[in-house]
Amino acid sequence: MATTTLAPRFGAFRRSWVWDWLTTVDHKKIGILYIVNSFLFFLAAGLLALVVRSELAVPGLQFVNVQTYNQAFTMHGTIMVFLFVVPVLSGFANYIVPLMIGAPDMAFPRVNAISFWFLPVGGLLIFSGYLVGGAAAEGWTLYTPLSGAAYAPGYGTDLWLVGLTLVGTASILGSVNFIATIFKMRAPGKTLFRMPIFVWTMLVTATLILLATPVLAAGMIALLIDRNYGGSFFDPAAGGNPVLWQHIFWFFGHPEVYIVILPAMGVVSEVLPVFSRKPLFGYRAFVFATIAIGFLSFSVWAHHMFVTGQVFLPFFAFMTALIAVPTGVKMFNWMATLWRGSISLTTPMLFAIGFLTMFLIGGISGVMLSSPPIDFHLQDTYFVVAHLHYVFFGGSVFGVFAATYYWFPKMFGRRLNERLGKIHFAMHFIGFNLAFFPMHELGIQGMPRRISDYSATAGWTELNLLSTLGAFLIAASILPFLVNLVATFINGERVGDDPWEGNTLEWATSSPPPAYNFDVLPPIRSERPVFDLRHRHDAEHLAAEPHPPGEGEA
Amino acid sequence: MRRLAARWRLRSLLRAAAPLLLIGLLAGCMLPPTPATTTAKSVWWLYLIVFGMGAAVFFAVEGFILYAIFRYRRRDDRLPNQLHGNNRIEMVWTAIPTVIVLIMFVVSMISLAEVEARSPEPYLEVEVIGFQWQWTFRYLDGDTDPSNDYSVTGAPGAPPTLTVPVGKPVRLILHSDNVIHSFYVRNFLIKRDLVPLPNGRNNELELTVSEPGVYAGQCAEFCGDLHAEMTFNVEALPLAEFDAWLASVQAGGTPQPTPSPGTTTVALVADLLAFNIHQIDVAAGAPFVISLDNREAFSHNVSIYRDGERIFFGDYLQGPATTSYQVPGLQAGEYTFICDVHPIPGMTGTLTVE
Repeated sequence: MATTTLAPRFGAFRRSWVWDWLTTVDHKKIGILYIVNSFLFFLAAGLLALVVRSELAVPGLQFVNVQTYNQAFTMHGTIMVFLFVVPVLSGFANYIVPLMIGAPDMAFPRVNAISFWFLPVGGLLIFSGYLVGGAAAEGWTLYTPLSGAAYAPGYGTDLWLVGLTLVGTASILGSVNFIATIFKMRAPGKTLFRMPIFVWTMLVTATLILLATPVLAAGMIALLIDRNYGGSFFDPAAGGNPVLWQHIFWFFGHPEVYIVILPAMGVVSEVLPVFSRKPLFGYRAFVFATIAIGFLSFSVWAHHMFVTGQVFLPFFAFMTALIAVPTGVKMFNWMATLWRGSISLTTPMLFAIGFLTMFLIGGISGVMLSSPPIDFHLQDTYFVVAHLHYVFFGGSVFGVFAATYYWFPKMFGRRLNERLGKIHFAMHFIGFNLAFFPMHELGIQGMPRRISDYSATAGWTELNLLSTLGAFLIAASILPFLVNLVATFINGERVGDDPWEGNTLEWATSSPPPAYNFDVLPPIRSERPVFDLRHRHDAEHLAAEPHPPGEGEA
Repeated sequence: MRRLAARWRLRSLLRAAAPLLLIGLLAGCMLPPTPATTTAKSVWWLYLIVFGMGAAVFFAVEGFILYAIFRYRRRDDRLPNQLHGNNRIEMVWTAIPTVIVLIMFVVSMISLAEVEARSPEPYLEVEVIGFQWQWTFRYLDGDTDPSNDYSVTGAPGAPPTLTVPVGKPVRLILHSDNVIHSFYVRNFLIKRDLVPLPNGRNNELELTVSEPGVYAGQCAEFCGDLHAEMTFNVEALPLAEFDAWLASVQAGGTPQPTPSPGTTTVALVADLLAFNIHQIDVAAGAPFVISLDNREAFSHNVSIYRDGERIFFGDYLQGPATTSYQVPGLQAGEYTFICDVHPIPGMTGTLTVE
């Protein structure tokens, strides 16, 4: 509770700011720690991606040997998914969710701190494979038997398993904290159906983490036992089954896709209404679609395994196609929110619209892959690489940058420079499409993923070169972003508490908020209390408004 | 100031639209390779239908978004109509994706039934064996003795060819006893994993190649260091030609090497990615035998090189197992013996012939 941060300090002893940050249990500082930590891992994993793309630019092995290459793409995927996209969104949620529901802090501030500190430790453990003879090199999916002791004898794989178990534990603790916070810490009047969509998506995300991550943790411990203590869960010679690992991994792994995309959808659902100056169209339908995606995400895992010949195809094909329906509903809701709005193309809005257009491509390619005969051709080719990057990068990462530009003024009281922000967006958007769109065509032409080299006669050279250029453009787009951060901290525009004319409660407090978050809360009568406050004298609009969602539930 | 803002808007729109235009142009060539089997043709058409639906959705939605952000730009401080939703229209747009995915599911299932169809009596059965990092294609001749089956095994830089007849169903039995590999021929628009399953079960794949030709294939499931080099070819011959080819290779068979008495035998042990000895001395002109004891769960072999040129190639041996290589008499000089799968210092040695 808030009392933690208000506890009296020891006499006149003044702690340094370093000590203050290392021992903080304030959700806002922990949120910023999450974001900074994730961003550092993002840069590291991004460099690994440049290693992979440089090697693939032209046929032949020029820069690295196959072992280095295999470690690079394995670590790139692992770090990006587990130590960047998931935690950075958790970081924003850590900062924003208590503010959005009018709470003074998370429900369990100390658990919040430990679930953050597991992350850098777990991440460094995973990376430390490089110090003991090579990191894990079996792909981020770590398929058995390739990841078994016979074929991957090094310590890198063990460190991967131990480090990731720690990261998973952090996620589980964090999700318990979010669920408790959202159910128990809402301000008076903040009914469930008056919660901002971002809070709803975090609630469903936390539930998915709580149900899916322990399954992966169990699988990873089983693999650790197989590797080190004579187990045979996945060893066919001793009656185990390597396909079992795939079931366990993807039973976690597919909900994981929604764990990373739902919060980004939440961000976009906050940003679009603010910069269209309209409420989100179909709030309740959006909430139900989010919950439906949560349920369905547990029944589609084996679509990653169509070509193993070991799954019942029609069921998983049907469920996978079905999950496109709630996703389609969301897309229509966003489109209708833009319709007849009053749209300002600020940097967060550009990234949010970038999310809509890029996630759409990832969604369409995903529906194509749900058809088993098409999947038989495209599975394990660059088409899948393109698809997953349009979802993870075009979806989640665009959402992350929308959140960064949108909430930066709340966190630091200063707005990031808009011109540099737009340059960042343009380079990012063009680089992203240049890097990943050609991969669709490469996959359709049959280029398998995870190969270190390809034949000059295969006809893949030009598109690979294009893709590598795009990857370097994405890397270059980080420069204006970093310059923007530094310039804003030194001499950024101070913009007050509510620079965007926001809708949700975080804009009702100061920027940055005080340790206890709110001096006074506005009355909460809809999902947009700050909008209501701003337009309380605006009888014309309020009269024209139909009953806001949540009416009658207070 | 206003004009400047308008120009900025136009430029930002062009910036947003340019990649989309590029995408539109590229979409013209996003078609799979020419299908070469009877079922691949069905998949090719299925792909076209699904891709067409996807492209239609893409252009409709992107067009809507671009129009909206252009048309409804903020012009003044007046609030737009605060519309919260509309149940009727929301029901309609829940139905639209439902109908689209149901159509897609039904056409996919129709095509899947064709792809998965099995003929009661395939014309030919071939066991496809994947190992790190090559393939063996073993032509099953129907008797119980596997040692007299004709087989072909690839070597690094020398991918094997799977020869099949045109117009007849060929059943592939996909076997691996090491890691997972995947048999993938892009013109067949299909792949299937070789999974080391318990109780000796194997995946199967049935194909009827419809066009004669040579088709490139490749392992599609990441299988370790030299995954990228696990390539192969499929050559489809007209039926009469194929029958003649198969009869001739089966008559030749692949004789099992038996060491003749009196020749020198060099015992070589491969363990922990290294040979036990790195220097071998033999007499010039006399055939000799290298017995290889592979104690590891993956493949090794022994080949002999002189000045970078391969003089002798020993078949890959999936361990743990032992084999004997018959090496013909060599001229005096310095040679190198090496494991082609792991050309590293530990698996390299000097062969001195005097």
